[in-house]
Amino acid sequence: MLANDLRSHHVNMVVPTSKQVSNTKHPELCIWLQDVAINRDKLAFSKLFKWFAPRIKQFGIKQFNNEAQALELVQETMTNIWRKSHLYQKDKGAPTTWMYSIMRNMSFDMLRKLQTQRTETISDDIWPVDNILVSEDIDNFEDHLQSRNIKALLEHLPEKQKQVVSGLFYKQVTQEQLAQQLNVPIGTVKSRLRLALNKLRQLMGESDD
Amino acid sequence: MIKHHPTPALLLAFTQGQLGASLSIAVSAHLEHCECCRHQVLALQETSAQYLDDDIEVDEWEDDEMISTITDNDYELHPKQSSPLRVNIREHEYTLPKALQSVGLSNWLKLGKLSRARVDLNEGEVHTNLLHIEKGGAIPRHTHKGFELTLILAGEFKDEVDTYVPGDFIWLNDANTHSPSTETGCLCLTIANNSMHFVQGISQVLNPVGKLIY
Repeated sequence: MLANDLRSHHVNMVVPTSKQVSNTKHPELCIWLQDVAINRDKLAFSKLFKWFAPRIKQFGIKQFNNEAQALELVQETMTNIWRKSHLYQKDKGAPTTWMYSIMRNMSFDMLRKLQTQRTETISDDIWPVDNILVSEDIDNFEDHLQSRNIKALLEHLPEKQKQVVSGLFYKQVTQEQLAQQLNVPIGTVKSRLRLALNKLRQLMGESDD
Repeated sequence: MIKHHPTPALLLAFTQGQLGASLSIAVSAHLEHCECCRHQVLALQETSAQYLDDDIEVDEWEDDEMISTITDNDYELHPKQSSPLRVNIREHEYTLPKALQSVGLSNWLKLGKLSRARVDLNEGEVHTNLLHIEKGGAIPRHTHKGFELTLILAGEFKDEVDTYVPGDFIWLNDANTHSPSTETGCLCLTIANNSMHFVQGISQVLNPVGKLIY
């Protein structure tokens, strides 16, 4: 039932590309973004902001040829990054690639609004940044994809919760067996599982329902 | 198998958000069908994003107020949950590409075996349509004053050059003349910046077709 519970949540994610975080010349960007994603760390966000804002502004000036609109792009992009950071997966690629997609999407919708007076947000439909699948067959691939991504998410859990989830979902042992193996009461297994699932849902961008 | 793809330059412009909505939608719909172009776009995106990783000369950012305005508001955004649009035309049901799910579509206008619905993008002379050709239908031999992009969404059609399948991205300009036809029927996304010019038959008779398609 719990496995179904996890699987029934639609997850928008990508298959990790071969390019990893090590790609970035500035690994601290990745650390800051993780701090924002996991701990809502305002100091880390302000460091990210100071790195990216001037670069986004430059991009905006090229795009809009107008400083006020470039600043609006900075504000909109960084607001999105603050509010969507929980969706960032470090195995998706460098943080700069993720931030670039958000900036490009914001800029596209702003430019379209200026040029055609159409206000629907369509960039996220055109560039589904949260789920550019690299698979041949999306339908057949989804289960596999999902379990891979959940595995990646497990890395965000405290060690004890991780043990419980990987035992139940990947080693297919029962809660009772797991309690015996770990030498803890079954109630502890259940509560660790509950905490872990809440955290996973949060990481997967789902409200707790 | 898909044989017709966007050029690398078009893929780069797409990745960097420099194309208008119509062409961006068409490239995105092509990517749904084409794994090799998806890989290219991912690679181009990583390359384009390096700009954000570069050590460049920038002024120190002084507006701390913007930062606190952003972090004061703590609600999280979740991915938009929506499903692709379905359309029904002449007793066929089609699922449209994801890129079309939030834009407006007009009612279908029908003429013979042709039906079209406008995609409301308001891009001036660039018109974007969904075009359905019923089985056994054809468009008279024509050329284009500007450009015409056809992306097959479902079914097949053929012209003097080739047979096309879903995902084929067919870019034509005034150097090309063709007369497409379909045996089994098809649904296409078409983008054109000028009406077509018929090279056979009495153009006045064909004018309604030209107007319908542009």
